[in-house]
Amino acid sequence: MEKNISLVSPLPRESSRQEGIASLRTSRWKERALAYFFLAPSLILFGIFLFFPLLKSVYLSMFLTDPQGRVASFAGADNFTNILTSEVFYNSLWITVKFILLTVPTGVVAALLLAAISIPKLRLTKLFQFFFSLPMAVSVGTGSIIWMVLYHPTLSILNYALSLIGISPIAWLTDPKWALLSVALMTVWLNLGFNYIVMLSGMQSVPEDLYESSKIDGSGPFRTFFRITLPLISPSLFFIGVVSIISAFQSFAQINILTKGGPMNSTDVLVYNIYQDAFINYRFGIGSAQALILFVLITLLTIVQFKFGEKKVHYQ
Amino acid sequence: MSIRAVNQTILYVLLSVAALLILFPLLFTLSSAFMSSAESATYPPKLIPSGMHWDNFLQVVETVPVIRFITNSFVVSAAIMVGQLITASMAAYAFAFLRFPGKAMIFSLFLSTMMIPWEVTMIPNYLTVRSWHWLDSYQGLIVPFLASAFGTFLLRQYFLQLPKELFEAAKVDGCGQIRTFIQLVLPLSTPSLATLAVYSFLTNWSNYLWPLLITNKESMRTVQIGIGMLQFEEVTAWNVVMAGIVIMLLPSLILLIAGLKPLVRGITAGALKG
Amino acid sequence: MKPFGKKTLAMLLLSCMMLVAAGCGSNGSPTQEDTASAAPETSSKQEEPVKVVWWHSMSGDVGKAAQQLVDEFNAEHKDIVVQAEYQGKYDESLNKLKASLGSDSGPSLIQVYEIGSRFMIDSKAITPVQQFIDADKYDTSRLEPNILNYYTFDNKLYSMPFNTSNPILYYNKDAFKAAGLDPEKPPATYEEVAEAAKKLTKSGQAGGSFAIYGWFMEQLFANQGAELLDNGNGRTQAATSSLLGSDAGVKTLDWWKRMVEEKSMLNLGRKTDDTSKAFAAGQIAMTLDSTASLRSIVKSAEGKFEVGTGFLPKADANVKGGVIVGGASNWILNNRPEAEQKAAWEFIKFLAEPKSQAEWHINTGYFPITQKAYDEPIVKENMTKYPQFQTAVDQLHQTTPSLATQGAVMGVFPEARQLTETAIEEVLNNKKSSKQALDDAAKAITSKIEEYNKTVSK
Repeated sequence: MEKNISLVSPLPRESSRQEGIASLRTSRWKERALAYFFLAPSLILFGIFLFFPLLKSVYLSMFLTDPQGRVASFAGADNFTNILTSEVFYNSLWITVKFILLTVPTGVVAALLLAAISIPKLRLTKLFQFFFSLPMAVSVGTGSIIWMVLYHPTLSILNYALSLIGISPIAWLTDPKWALLSVALMTVWLNLGFNYIVMLSGMQSVPEDLYESSKIDGSGPFRTFFRITLPLISPSLFFIGVVSIISAFQSFAQINILTKGGPMNSTDVLVYNIYQDAFINYRFGIGSAQALILFVLITLLTIVQFKFGEKKVHYQ
Repeated sequence: MSIRAVNQTILYVLLSVAALLILFPLLFTLSSAFMSSAESATYPPKLIPSGMHWDNFLQVVETVPVIRFITNSFVVSAAIMVGQLITASMAAYAFAFLRFPGKAMIFSLFLSTMMIPWEVTMIPNYLTVRSWHWLDSYQGLIVPFLASAFGTFLLRQYFLQLPKELFEAAKVDGCGQIRTFIQLVLPLSTPSLATLAVYSFLTNWSNYLWPLLITNKESMRTVQIGIGMLQFEEVTAWNVVMAGIVIMLLPSLILLIAGLKPLVRGITAGALKG
Repeated sequence: MKPFGKKTLAMLLLSCMMLVAAGCGSNGSPTQEDTASAAPETSSKQEEPVKVVWWHSMSGDVGKAAQQLVDEFNAEHKDIVVQAEYQGKYDESLNKLKASLGSDSGPSLIQVYEIGSRFMIDSKAITPVQQFIDADKYDTSRLEPNILNYYTFDNKLYSMPFNTSNPILYYNKDAFKAAGLDPEKPPATYEEVAEAAKKLTKSGQAGGSFAIYGWFMEQLFANQGAELLDNGNGRTQAATSSLLGSDAGVKTLDWWKRMVEEKSMLNLGRKTDDTSKAFAAGQIAMTLDSTASLRSIVKSAEGKFEVGTGFLPKADANVKGGVIVGGASNWILNNRPEAEQKAAWEFIKFLAEPKSQAEWHINTGYFPITQKAYDEPIVKENMTKYPQFQTAVDQLHQTTPSLATQGAVMGVFPEARQLTETAIEEVLNNKKSSKQALDDAAKAITSKIEEYNKTVSK
């Protein structure tokens, strides 16, 4: 990489207008050099703060660690076989999958709908756009605290509202049947702001004359939405899809604050399990092994999404 | 005309219902922040506080050095935001427009960084930062977050949406890559740059564990630690915590308002052609 | 990563940053400040005051009370400066400690929750306070023996208790009156609690609710004189297996479950904060909670009803047992210079003084760790204001010391608690029988203990 950086110094100022194969080759070289120069800052930072720790955890995953987190004895693949044969792991994995299914499609569809109804220019459009993006300002930590109060087992204002319409109170976080759903609801709310903004900016970049011409063609709003808007914002949709799945996989803070994995392990997602092992129970080796498995899982899933999903994405 | 009016009304109703549902948790927080501690925990729950209990805010200020924490969070988040905008837009430009060997491989390498669980990186990074004597410093809080695969991905998706004809025109005009990048691509991408700016600022505003780990001095700490300092495990006074949340939310709200403007302005077809 | 030298990396990074961040002008300067302030700390011997860094997890009002004590100490001692640093919740602070071990970025003194004791000893990173007690000929007889017991291993006191609490039964006296129960006689046994709960249950008010908190289970074990772990609760020798599935556990859980089934007891989840708020709102008439919550519970019920307190219920009136001390203690780290450790010990002694303890007690609701504190006028005054606290003190004093009431010790305590809580949930949600759930949990805990023991070098 250093080689490339040194190559960069004579920056291509003007693309050459001269004809000839030689100049074509230099311009290609310049393009490559520029590309690596543009990628270098990110790659260096990733190398130090992400890949290096990852390699370290590959190493740790093959050992048992003592209470200080130091390597105590070599375990080889034991940590992995222990995890892959344990019931707890598959339970966590299943809960994680359920959590993703509960949060990702809902989150994407909700954001899409909100963007669709707030794109027509009305007098108050800007205000509503602001309202819809508000949850983005809330961090997971504070959001969880707010929802913890909303979900309080006996003082919940949500239950009070339900009681007004004759529905008996729901044990949001203490009933194993509800807990994951409640956490998912809160997560959808939390991510809504960001998803909405991405959708909105995607929709806003659709050239207006396209809408005009479809109007002239006599196409109704629904048809326009499905025929024109959706394909044109598919890069944004694809982005939100991939990113939401990754972030759902890594959701931790809300679980830690709201349920601590309970009741009856019904919200014990994989990352919570990893956190427990690495930071509460001082088993860095097993925690690392589990984190690596998680890493591989997300990576595989993302590859699949790119393989099959990106084909359908329409880039202009 | 009348059909349009009906449509508008329906739209407004839809918008209002959605807004109410989304805003409710925040309005609830705001109202609880002004309640007395007894009021904040009664059944049936109260929607509106009986009086304005400003002393909750006073208590927050007494427990937590709010101004200092907000300043720190602001400096850190702003620096990270600027850094990520630069690194991510450069990388995204390379991925979107430049041809170079290993592109697919490097792009997947970028994406894979998003999938590394933070549990793995935390302790090794602490050790790295410590060996550089960066504990209790702004650079320790900032540098590890300066690059963002997420931002790169976001901008790449957006760059790819830009009309191709534009670049061909630029090429014909003899516009070099760097000029294309700075004078064409970046200005056209203001909405997505604003999205990334707001996103990166707010994510880092929410950071909790990393600042807690690498800072000891109160003078270097950030707002999320402040919220932690307000709660006590045995008993928590909701009203005071909510007041704290309101205080620490304010700067994020202001940023959101500021960032939303370029974001929703969007680009029109006319601007693209001109 | 190896092909890069560290310096090149740092240089590259810095240049990137210059390129990148016009906004952060403070680059570098804090580092210099750091090294500058660190230098005199190591070089100076007598002239400069010794700096003691104390990591604690006390937040909110309790955090303020802790800071107040530190300020008083610093005013009194010109040669020592204690710097109190809040480091997040107990487990967060412990993690930070773990990361800082083997470097000079750690504290001189750290507050650790009681269930982290075994970890602290096994980490071999601490100096037992017994060393200072012996060297100083410090008289420990003034301290509460029942509190010291918890932190004593092999007849050595390892850490100095700081904030300590017990669970007690809180009840709504007005609701008792309304239900025809004697408001001055709280139920003392499982049977009495169940009967009272039944009578107290009416529309809008349940008899009671206990948070699903592993700590309560541990306490209810000790209250029957039953041990939670083998090898004398892990105190005569490192524990090898959990006794959670024993009769004491099954009896307790059956009782709890029966009340939930009869709807006289609610299941409000794991947080005591939730049960205490429900109690204050008059939705439940009895609850278990820590003595440290007493002030806020009494305060939040002010003007609504009168709060009564009783001993933690026993399985039978005639079983011997008592409660275990909960809370946290202060540990001295052994990698700090001797002068600093001594200074930390001075601070510990200051914290244990009757005056400090009296102040700490009335500001927070934690027990004073020395009996002398009860003679302080502020404590007496507090006792008349919150007579309910007498129950807590009596309960502590009436506890007969035994391995059971000394409390279990194991390296995997936080995890064991979590497993116990899951077991309770499984029973209350009708997934398993008490015996089954506790046996399963015991098995899981035992295997975790075995795993832990493998990693700890003898």
